[in-house]
Amino acid sequence: MSSSPEPRPVGAVFDALADPTRRHLIEALSSGPGTATGLAAPLPISRQAVAKHLELLARAGLVERRRHGRETVFELRPEPLTEASAWMDAVGAEWSGRLQRLRNTLGA
Amino acid sequence: MQPFGCVSTLAQTVERAILLDAEPERVWEAVTDPELLSEWLADEVELELVEGGEVVCRYADGEERRGEVALVEEAERLAFEWRRQGAEPSLVEIDVDAVAGGTVLTVRETGGFGPLLAAGAGSLWGTRLGSLRLVLGRVVLA
Repeated sequence: MSSSPEPRPVGAVFDALADPTRRHLIEALSSGPGTATGLAAPLPISRQAVAKHLELLARAGLVERRRHGRETVFELRPEPLTEASAWMDAVGAEWSGRLQRLRNTLGA
Repeated sequence: MQPFGCVSTLAQTVERAILLDAEPERVWEAVTDPELLSEWLADEVELELVEGGEVVCRYADGEERRGEVALVEEAERLAFEWRRQGAEPSLVEIDVDAVAGGTVLTVRETGGFGPLLAAGAGSLWGTRLGSLRLVLGRVVLA
């Protein structure tokens, strides 16, 4: 019915997570904060490339950065992830209830 | 810090499925007939069964959700967006599949798209959306 073209995914969070390096960085940061240098060490890409990825994650609100002396330290923001699991629990419970009522309605 | 762009929460998908001892046609009816929907989906349901049609769900506690139908595949799949007042919209997909012994109904709700849906983004189908869901699901579980 709608003739609008398929939209590009909006929102920096989508772009942030669509890249495997950035997903790796998020996993690495889930163990604790890090610097671009430290996070780049085990990766086959440059510190500058990692820094660019981290900037993008920060703009998406997924990581926070703060100055620590002369370095910038990046830390995962827990809010988007804890909000996500709370949402999943609540909505999952709602649907479980509805599907039970559906079964009762159908006598099935 | 506000994120650049519009999405402030991760989009994620919840999925639940149930095996029903009923024919798929009966299950489809229960999924699309507002009178039957009012027995399980919400306390009161209005549904215009056509793409772009209105969806209204009212609950006994006064909560109301409104949205629109995104997809109707006769006897197989219904999808609609809905949102609580002031909340972000989510996408609900209901699949009805015949199996030996009855019908499997699968429901997926994907939330957190925020302005993607609010902007009237038209069709949300496509592999791009599917792969994004997989990406986000992995991060949330990590």
